[in-house]
Amino acid sequence: MATTSARLLQLAIPLVKTHGFTREALSRSVLSLPTPHAQPLPDAAITSLFGQGDNARKSLIDTWLEDAREQMKATQSTVVKDVLWARLQHNEPVLNYLPDAFAVLASSSTFLPLDPEPAITHAAKVANEACWIAYPTEKSWHTRRASIAAIYLASELHQLTSPSTTYQFLSSLIETSSAAETSLTEAQIFGSYVFKSWAGIVKSTGVFL
Amino acid sequence: MLSLPRSLARARPLVPSRHIHSQHRTTSFGFKTIPEESKESLVKHVFDSVASSYDLMNDASSLGVHRLWKDAFVSTLKPGRKGPLRCIDVAGGTGDIALRILDHARESYADRETTVDVLDINAHMLKEGFTRFKKTMYHNTPQVSFHEANAQDMPHSLFKDDSYDLYTIAFGIRNCTSIPAVLKEAHRVLKPGATFACLEFSKVNNPLFSTLYDQYSFSIIPLMGTILAGDRESYQYLVESIRKFPSQPVFAQMIREAGFATGGDRDGGAWTDLWGGIACIHTAVKL
Repeated sequence: MATTSARLLQLAIPLVKTHGFTREALSRSVLSLPTPHAQPLPDAAITSLFGQGDNARKSLIDTWLEDAREQMKATQSTVVKDVLWARLQHNEPVLNYLPDAFAVLASSSTFLPLDPEPAITHAAKVANEACWIAYPTEKSWHTRRASIAAIYLASELHQLTSPSTTYQFLSSLIETSSAAETSLTEAQIFGSYVFKSWAGIVKSTGVFL
Repeated sequence: MLSLPRSLARARPLVPSRHIHSQHRTTSFGFKTIPEESKESLVKHVFDSVASSYDLMNDASSLGVHRLWKDAFVSTLKPGRKGPLRCIDVAGGTGDIALRILDHARESYADRETTVDVLDINAHMLKEGFTRFKKTMYHNTPQVSFHEANAQDMPHSLFKDDSYDLYTIAFGIRNCTSIPAVLKEAHRVLKPGATFACLEFSKVNNPLFSTLYDQYSFSIIPLMGTILAGDRESYQYLVESIRKFPSQPVFAQMIREAGFATGGDRDGGAWTDLWGGIACIHTAVKL
């Protein structure tokens, strides 16, 4: 079967922990082929296959993130905290390279100097995957996913600066979120009772007769 | 020498018969369909006819833009950036691309070891290229050499397997009888990890721009051929051959079928459109 650029991206994923999200990792991917090349690919070949400058790095980062989301499906537990924790653990071998990777994604926009869209998309996709695993029949689709995305994004940012306390931070956010969700639900129920009471009082005054 | 219309008349099959048609392979020569074996001689006639005024016509018909495209083509490839390369420029008769490759390597990277073998099937075009190089510092140096050969069947003794770092073909592949055969030969002579690059006219996807471009190319260019070169038919062929060339995704697929790996099927991936698709750079890698 002919080797494709997609196949090289897959072969470059294990090289990220030693070479980072770099053109060199892509270049060395051919050394992992079933019939390996004698030399890494020249830079001109990387440009031909993946684009100039940071475009090649962006392809590798996107492929790595997609692979990480696929790995979430292998989590044994269906508890959302465990699923998110498994995803955060996947970052650990490449933690040193992640800030640079996110910077590349954030600076890839033609119009904005700093584009928040890649970060939001990344968190949303992780949240979507986590929700499909933990809450496959969830009805409050958007609110649940928005909440999980925010929790994951905050936890990942925390992990970049303080990896050893990430699990505790994730746990506390999920507990707070559950408590907040319960409080919000109770507030909504209470609010509906108050509204119905006042509606009844106004009707009984005969204003609308 | 026969004029192009008389050559075309001779190229037609004599008496249509079921037996002959079932064995007769045909190809396009501009908008005409001709027997495959006739194309090479007809294209040779075109380029014999246009060789001496080729650069003048390119300047007139593209308003000098072809120079920008060729500059963009070579600067995309960055020859010499990571050390000297052994390059082959196919259908490169007048030496445009070869000269740009050597100049880029020298001026940008102080590289005087990169070499280019210029190959063309047409001796007249090669002679023009050789004459041009005589005015440069590369004449009589190992950096450039000229070879008369067929891109579809390059002699193995001269063009060995796995021997080149860069294969370029600019505005030439559409004139070849069998594009897959050219791509197969390109794959053969390139080293693993080496780059294939093709600059060619392509499909303009914007409908309004495409209409304007058609009007310009079918009215003005053959007229210029008449006035500047005294040969309308040859320039009519050149314009028609552009329309018959495969579109960007189809040509990218042909490149992959030859065994190359390419980027994704989009502008900026397997190909890069220039001026809305009037010209296009296709790149690929032999893995």
